[in-house]
Amino acid sequence: MRMRAALCGLLLAAAANACAGERQVSLDWLKIVAFAAHQTDYTGVFVYQYDNSVETSRIIHVVEADGEYEKLESLDGPKREIVRHHGQVWCLIDRDMVQMDSRQVRNMFPALLPEQLTALAENYHAMQVGTERVAGYNAQVILFKPKDNLRYIHKMWAHTDSGLLLKAAVLGDKNRVIEQYAFTQLQIGGNIDRSWVVDAIRNHEQPATMPGQAKGGAPVNSGWVVDALPAGFKKTMEIKREMRGRHAPVTQIVYSDGLSAISIFIEPDDGDEDDTDGLISRGAVNLYHKLVNNHLITVVGEVPPRTVMQVFGSVRYNGN
Amino acid sequence: MKQEISALMDGELFEDEAESLLGRIKSDSATHKDWEIYHLIGDVLRQPEHIHCDLSAKVHERMQEEPTVLAPRGRAVKQKVYAVALSAAASLVAVGVVAWMSLQVSPETATQMAMQQPDLRPVSAQIKSKSNDYLMAHQEFSPSTDMSGGASYIRTVAYSPDKK
Repeated sequence: MRMRAALCGLLLAAAANACAGERQVSLDWLKIVAFAAHQTDYTGVFVYQYDNSVETSRIIHVVEADGEYEKLESLDGPKREIVRHHGQVWCLIDRDMVQMDSRQVRNMFPALLPEQLTALAENYHAMQVGTERVAGYNAQVILFKPKDNLRYIHKMWAHTDSGLLLKAAVLGDKNRVIEQYAFTQLQIGGNIDRSWVVDAIRNHEQPATMPGQAKGGAPVNSGWVVDALPAGFKKTMEIKREMRGRHAPVTQIVYSDGLSAISIFIEPDDGDEDDTDGLISRGAVNLYHKLVNNHLITVVGEVPPRTVMQVFGSVRYNGN
Repeated sequence: MKQEISALMDGELFEDEAESLLGRIKSDSATHKDWEIYHLIGDVLRQPEHIHCDLSAKVHERMQEEPTVLAPRGRAVKQKVYAVALSAAASLVAVGVVAWMSLQVSPETATQMAMQQPDLRPVSAQIKSKSNDYLMAHQEFSPSTDMSGGASYIRTVAYSPDKK
């Protein structure tokens, strides 16, 4: 009898927690995904689809004693290669090696800060929606539905064992696919080619010889503010940085809601004729820039164009 | 036969020829298939990026379900069949166009297109490489990099032949 009462109590508690529990489990998955992305050795080929384009790339990620090394290589079209290590990014486009980063060494681990998870829970309904097979692996499917229409729906397929993201899709209105990428072939762990890491270290040690390199960004309080950010976007960074091809340092302010980010770049107008107004979309990322009162303002984010425009319209200088 | 279908689609057949061909298309499934394929070829040539979906079966099904209006027949039956065949063909095309438009012009892309058009054309190459720098600078601090690692960087160097 007592046993049955205990069981009843347990069932009641389980029912009460079912809703909250579901979301917690999904958020826990996110932590596992972020952990796996940084801590797993893997190599594979993935397909990226956006707008009307599809392209195939190879990625290798290894963890060495001094941190992560990662190489992304395009397999279609012109050869492009990105090497990342310790917050630094090298980009090879048309045999031209360019350092693109701000040399802001990020605290990569743990990747997801608790604030980010809180913001996420406030702005998205997280749900586990079953298991599927991707690239020969079993995957847990997790759906993040936003509570407003100022952000996209995110759907993730995480490897059931390691948590590695096997597939990810960004969906817009009426579940229209905005972009998606999926591994078609993937090796997790085991014997992975590391010969290229030596070259990456050499580049790492001699950054000064590379053309068009960027200088490190310094945290600032620029005085620029945004009034109409969607709910839940919190400022994660504000720096002044050098950017390739720009004469003056550029202020970059980053806001994030835990799943997507919006960057605002502000720089003085250098009279460059190429600084043309306009909206540019690439998959889930939208960019809008325009000259406003002698400043070139650029808004970039993994949010719908309407959100980028709304944010752009509310950027103002509040300093003295 | 195939030449005839092609000529019919181009409007180069005389009325009686068209009539007999339409009759055959309706009765003979192989000819009907050819007719569909020719339209598919035409669609693909005009819009290579849009996948064709065969609506005829569905339209047919819906039409079967529609109530039949019983009204006295005034004119010659023959003429009417021709008219029905033509209007059926026209409604197929119309359904196709509407479906294609709804695929094409969702409210989101419509505003996007409206905003893009005047701006993107003249400076694509320059602005693109510059935009890539902003995309790259943004990507560094985006949570998507934490989730999918370097794979999300593909956005910053994605290559699209049509925007070159």
